[in-house]
Parts: sequence; structure tokens; C-alpha cells
Amino acid sequence: MPASLVVEARGVSRVFPMSAGPVTALRDVTLHVAAGEYVAIAGPSGCGKSTLLHLVGCVDTPSSGSILFEHRDVAALSEAARSRIRLTRIGFVFQRFFLLPMLTAAENIELPQAEAGVAPAARRARTRALLEYVELVDRADHLPSQLSGGEMQRIAIARALANNPVLLVADEPTGELDETTGEHIADLFDRVHADGTAILVVTHNPTLAIRASRRLAMKSGSLVA
Amino acid sequence: MQWACHNPAMLTFVAALACAIALDAAPDVLVSRQLAARAHLTVGDTVTLAADANGARARTFRVAGVYEPTPDPMRFTAERIEGRLHLPDLIALTADPHDPASAESVNTINMTLAPGIDTRRFIADLASQAPGVTGWPTARSRDDDPFVVLDRFHLAISVVTVVGSTAFLLALMVIRAEERRDTIAILRMVGISRRSLLTSVAVEGLVTAIAGAIFGVALAFTTEGLVNRIFQTRYDTALVFVRVTPALAWRAVAVAAPLGIAAGLAASWTLLRRNILSLFRR
Amino acid sequence: MTSLGLAWRTARRYRARTLLAVAGVAIIGALLFDMLLLSRGLLASFADLLDSEGFDVRVIASEGLPAMRVPIPGSADLADRIRGMPSVRDVALIRMERARVRRGADRPRVVTLVGRTQSGVGPWTVVRGASLSYGPVGSARASGERDSASLPSERGDCPVVIGRNLATAFALEPGSSLDVTATPAGIASALPSVACRVVGLVDFGFAGVDEYAVATTMDAFEAIVAEPSHGEADLILVASRAESGGGAAAARAIAGLRPDLRVYSNEDVVAQFNRNGFAYFRQISFVLSSLTMSFAFLLVATLLTVSINQRLGEIAALRALGIGRRRIAAMLLWESALLVGAGALLALPLGGVLALLLDHILRQMPGLPERLHFFVFEPRALVIHVVLFVITAAAAAAYPVWLTSRLPIAATLRREVVG
Repeated sequence: MPASLVVEARGVSRVFPMSAGPVTALRDVTLHVAAGEYVAIAGPSGCGKSTLLHLVGCVDTPSSGSILFEHRDVAALSEAARSRIRLTRIGFVFQRFFLLPMLTAAENIELPQAEAGVAPAARRARTRALLEYVELVDRADHLPSQLSGGEMQRIAIARALANNPVLLVADEPTGELDETTGEHIADLFDRVHADGTAILVVTHNPTLAIRASRRLAMKSGSLVA
Repeated sequence: MQWACHNPAMLTFVAALACAIALDAAPDVLVSRQLAARAHLTVGDTVTLAADANGARARTFRVAGVYEPTPDPMRFTAERIEGRLHLPDLIALTADPHDPASAESVNTINMTLAPGIDTRRFIADLASQAPGVTGWPTARSRDDDPFVVLDRFHLAISVVTVVGSTAFLLALMVIRAEERRDTIAILRMVGISRRSLLTSVAVEGLVTAIAGAIFGVALAFTTEGLVNRIFQTRYDTALVFVRVTPALAWRAVAVAAPLGIAAGLAASWTLLRRNILSLFRR
Repeated sequence: MTSLGLAWRTARRYRARTLLAVAGVAIIGALLFDMLLLSRGLLASFADLLDSEGFDVRVIASEGLPAMRVPIPGSADLADRIRGMPSVRDVALIRMERARVRRGADRPRVVTLVGRTQSGVGPWTVVRGASLSYGPVGSARASGERDSASLPSERGDCPVVIGRNLATAFALEPGSSLDVTATPAGIASALPSVACRVVGLVDFGFAGVDEYAVATTMDAFEAIVAEPSHGEADLILVASRAESGGGAAAARAIAGLRPDLRVYSNEDVVAQFNRNGFAYFRQISFVLSSLTMSFAFLLVATLLTVSINQRLGEIAALRALGIGRRRIAAMLLWESALLVGAGALLALPLGGVLALLLDHILRQMPGLPERLHFFVFEPRALVIHVVLFVITAAAAAAYPVWLTSRLPIAATLRREVVG
């Protein structure tokens, strides 16, 4: 595995046991994301995109095959170690934002930093910088319920970048946004990529997918291109 | 009447002595189940009884039967070591030979008044005709009956419990209403009136509360026997401590039903009074 | 943002449910606090009442409490022997009889008449005026050995102390006069009235709320009942010296003098009361404490669980972002602690008010001493209250914590998006 690879999936499969019988969501998928690379995966609903994203993002473990994150076999790591990787090396962006509703925009961005043990002063400075980065300084003290969908997703991206991750994984980040707002989010992803952070995004949105340096397609649990 | 001697150890001793004496003419005594168990007495045994702790003027009696003492809620913690004698036998046993009047004295005379006789007036007449005699009605008035006081105490505790439960129920209904915020928004968007929604919520609250009350009553019915057995064993009594009556069951349902409706309506009203668009989550 | 901070923000965000949960816990907690007060309250109050009399050993002729009035044969002689014991500080002989008190044209009142030999203390507490005085009479007089023929001839020979309720009923003050007529139960009597002078207003420890009581010297008592005691008393009260082993040691020594009598230290009386008279309240206190604890646990556990179920997506996202299980568990524990803590804190004043109300209800029982209470505050009750609520908070959070710690992150996120 080349030293520049952030994450690599080697022949991974994921089978979910269901009451009606096991469902295979991923079949023998191999994928790698290099440092600073921007990869987009497209495909119809239920083809296994999110499942692959969860495996690459160290949220889930494969039924077979292996995931190597920065040369470490994720399956061999404890839940605490995987949690630590997610906290400090990976940033997550969700379709539904998942901002904590009782915290302000700034507090949502500060939360992962606090968990990582960043000192309060440094936390505040980093939060301020990220709010400027996503152009929402004036919304710092607003609750999520006081923000628009696009604003919430920008705050969610700022939160994902809070601990300087090497990889940003995004699951349908424009899925709940209109076209124009989606464009703004896509622009923001371009900037994140330009700043050197690797991005793996799964999306239906062709305008977002087209910006990736490498585009893959999935069908029935397999990568087809 | 109360057993004259309260010392079961002495009674056992005296009873053992008496076993050697067979007296066909011995008068009868009934002993309580607890006394029979404690002194190992069975029907037909002879026992010697004395009013005096030193055993003076003792008399021999034959155990004619063992009885279950009438449960007395005022004395349920007391051990019912007691027996019953015919009054002449008791007087013969307890009368002071130096006091001729003692053979003609009793502690209490129980009377049943003819229908229509005013108890208080009767007692007043009695007091005027027989100075030194105190009369009192056996039926307690509402004011001085300890069980009426206990009833009030239990009622107060019930009220507190119901208020606490209502807060609990309201909290749950608020969460349930919040859970269905999107559904309520959609229903209102498609034109379902607030009145219809409130009615459905009220019905849901009613059904939930009644189901809860029925479950509670069923639980009480099921555990009634167990609770009674525990306490009856603990205090060696036939007293019934818990009895779930139909009236109580109805009362539980009658209290729960309006509370359930009110809690459902109150919790939902916070959503229903709001603007439809503000109900949609972001 | 600390876990406590997150919990606090959550509580504030869901204000209605938080307030309702706190209210529910506070009400249930108030009941629990009251049951803790009740669990030993009556006993503590009873013990306090006994101790306040100034005597710690009671001698009676037959088994049971002193209310059973069977005279103690040879009381005076026994009192002298008890007084001579090194462990004894004070001895009083007590006789009781029913009497009628009249003042002027007012309706006569039935009273409990108490006769007492000379003693340093009660059994009563002087509220106004003085206690009974015995004049320059020697110890022989104090022990009950007196000339039974010497009856009070003047009003001053019958000093009485009276309960406050009787003072109110007759508008009596120290120095007032009243006529006392003995009306012994069970016998026909037509005794003459004896004119008495009130020397003090007192609280009789064991007098009932609606019971009138009058106490006087043993000489005056005998004059009123027109019957010499022949050295017999209904009750002998003994005050022991603490340095000689207290009431229990004195009771043992006295029982050795007269094995035919029943001798109880205050501890014995309290223990007997605990076994018999107090059993119902101990049981109901235990049952209701258990019920209220279960109720509080169910309330908080259900609310937290339902609340967590609503926030599963949020929590899964936090876990995906690398927020550790420990932090989320701590947040839930704090949420539980905030609900239960605020409720438990509010429960204390609420419980205090409720205790007054419940005490008022229970004190309507007939024949209860005026100073006897069912709900008595003891620091022990507060400590148990706090400990029980800490346990409840932890137990109530246990299931939601377990639920979140086992939360499948990927599946939950997938479900949330599909949902």
C-alpha cells in the first residue's frame, strides 16, 4: 500500500442479517483514497454507497475483506480506537446535518475539538476560523433551528473539519438542499479539497459528482467503473 | 374476654401439671388458635387456670374447642393469646373471696338497643340511674374512628400519587405529541381540522388511561392474595389487609379516564395552536 | 462543552418535558421524604416524649403500658428502696383517677386527675407559674408515708397544675381556684368537691389533644378521692443517674428488687411500641417508600428512554464524529441527575409542607398525646433521601446508557435517512 493512501478497502463485503434472510449490501469491493484525493461515488438508491462510506469512515466493519485506514486494519482496532480515528482523522458530513439542536453553530463546531482535548482558547480560535471559512461568522450564536438548510450543512462541514481530518466523508451532502444551495456546498467541497483534505463523497447530485477528481459508480453492491 | 393470664410460659407449665388430673366435671374453655399452638393444646386437654400469677385459687378446665379470634384491626399486631369461659366460671375464677360484691361484678355489659332508641339518650338515662357506670356506643362516630383518620391519610397519599402520576403522564404525552409533530403538520396541511385531531388525541388519551387503569386494577387483584398472605403470616391473624372491591376498581378507572383525556389534550394543544409551517422540522 | 453542559442544554431545549419530569419527581420525592420521616417519626416523637418527662424507668404492676391501672402493692416501701439505690436520682409515685372539675357556673369538665409524690421533675413541663411544691416535709412524706387522715382543709392545701386546654376552657391563670370532684370509674360515688388552687399551667406529655388533665400532690389526691393509698401507687417513675449505666441498668436493678412487677426503661417502652403500636406505620412507610422509589425510577427511566429514542440519529451522528461512548453516557447520567436532583431538591420543601398536612390528618386519631407527632425530621432521613435518589438517578440512566452504548452507528444513520 503506497504511503500516500489514506484508506483502502480490499475486497470488502457487507452482509446484513435480516429476519427474512441475509441481505448483501456490498460484494467484494476494492477502493482506495489517496491523500488529497477527491473521489465521488454515484449510484441508485440502495446500491450500497452509504454502506461503503460507513466502512471507509470506520463506523462499521466488513463481513469479509479488510479496510486499512492509514495502514491500520480497522477490524483489528477496538471501538475506542476507531472512535479516536473518527474524531481526529476523519470528518463526517451527513445528508440530514445532525447538528445538535441545543447547541449554537459555534458550539457544534467546538464539540469535536473539546472531545479531542483541544484547549479552550485554541478551540475558540479554530472555531472562529472555520466559521470564516464557511462564511457564517455572523451566525455563530444561532441555534440550528434558526439556520437555513444550506447554512446548517456549512456548519456541519465546519464541524467535520474541526480537528483537521485527513479524510472528509460525505453522505449525500446536498440531498436535502435545493440546486443553488447544493452548488454552494459543492464550491465549499472544492475549497476543502484545494486545501489538501481528501474527500470521499457519495451522491446522486451530478453537479457535485462532476467536481471530483475520480468518479466511481456503484450498482447492486459493486463498483462498476 | 381477654385471657386472664398473659404469661404463656406459666400457662404451659400449669397445663402440664393438669394433664395428670382427669376431671370429668371440669368446666369448658375455648382457646384461641394461637394459644393452642403456643401451649400445645388440643381439644379434650385439661388445663389449670389462675387469675393470680402465683397460681392461687387455680381451677381446672377442659379445652372444649379451639377458635380463630375475630380479627381486630385495632390490635392486629398483638399476639392473640386468649381464651373464652362461661361467665360464672370466670367469676368463680377471678372473684375476690373477701369482697362479696366482686362475685356480682362484671367489667362490661353489652347491649343491643331496640330499633329506634337513641343511643346517646339511653346512655344519659343510664348514667343518671346508675352513677359510676359509663356507657358508650360501640359504633364509632366519624370523628373519633381511627380508621376514618387512616382513610383520610390514605386518601391524601392517593391524591399526591395521582398528582405525581399526572405530571408523569403529561410528560409522556408531550414527548408523544412531539414525536408526531410532522404527522400533525401533514394532517393539518391536508385540511384535517384541529377539532378532529383533538378528538382523536382525546380518544387516544382515554384509551391509554383506561388501559393503564385496568392493568393497575388487574395487578392489584393479582397481588391482593399475596399481600394478604404476607401480612397474615407476619402477624398471625385472619385479618384481611387489602381488598380490591369493584367500587375501588371503578373509582380508579373513573379518576384515570378524565386525567388521560386532559393530559392528551393539553400535550397536543401546544402543537395544534401553532402555525402549520412552524411544525415542519428543519 | 462538558457533559453536564450538554445535559443542561438538553434539559433546557425540551423545557416542557423537563419541567413535567421534575414536577413528577418532586411530588413523588415529597411522598418518599415523608415516608422516611414517618418511618421513624412516631418512634422518635414517642421517645422524645418519654425522655421529656425527666424519668427513664417505669414500674407497673401488670404487663402492658402504664395506662393499665393495677395498683402496685407496697409502692411506698419499694420507692424508698429504689431511692436508696446508687443508680437512682429521683423517684415519684403516681396515682390516677377520673374526676370532674367545676369553676363557677361554667359547665363541669371531666379530667384525668394525677397525684404525685414529691419529685424534682414532672411528668410535665411548666409553661407558666410554678410546679407543685411540697413544703418542708421530709423524705418520708415524699415517699408516700404520710398520715392518711390529714386531709386538706384549706384551698391552699390542694395545689394543682393544669393543662393549657383546661386553662383556656375555664380562663384559669396561676392563682385561680377550681373545685375538683373525684368520679372513680366502675363504682357509684358521691364524693365531696375539694377546693384547689392553680399554681401552674403545664404541658402533660401524654395527655391527649382533647383530654383535660389536672395534677396535684399525693396528699391532695387522696383527699380528693377520699381514700388513702395504703402505700399503693398505679405507677412508679424513676430517674436514673447517667453515670451509673442509665435507665436500662436501673430497670434491671429494680426488677431484681421486685420480680413480680413489670419494670421498663424508656428504651424498653420504645422497643415495645416499635413492635406493636408502631408496626402499621412502619409497614406503610416501607411499602410506600418502595413504591415511590419504583415510581420515580420508572418515571425518569421512561422519560430518558423515550427521549433517547427520539435522538438516536443525533447520537449516532455524534458517535460517527468520534464522540466517545463515555461522553454520551456521562451526558445521559447528567440528564438523569439533573431531573432527579432538581426533583429531589424541590421534594424537600414540598415534603415538609405535605408532612405538616399528613401529620395534621393522623393526629386526629382519638386519644393521642398532644405532643406526639408522626412526621419528625431527622438528619438520617435527609441522608437516606439523597442516597435513594442518587441510586434512582443512576438506575434510571442505566438502560438509556446501555441502549446508546450498543447503538449500531451505521444502521441507525441509515434508518434515520430512510425514515
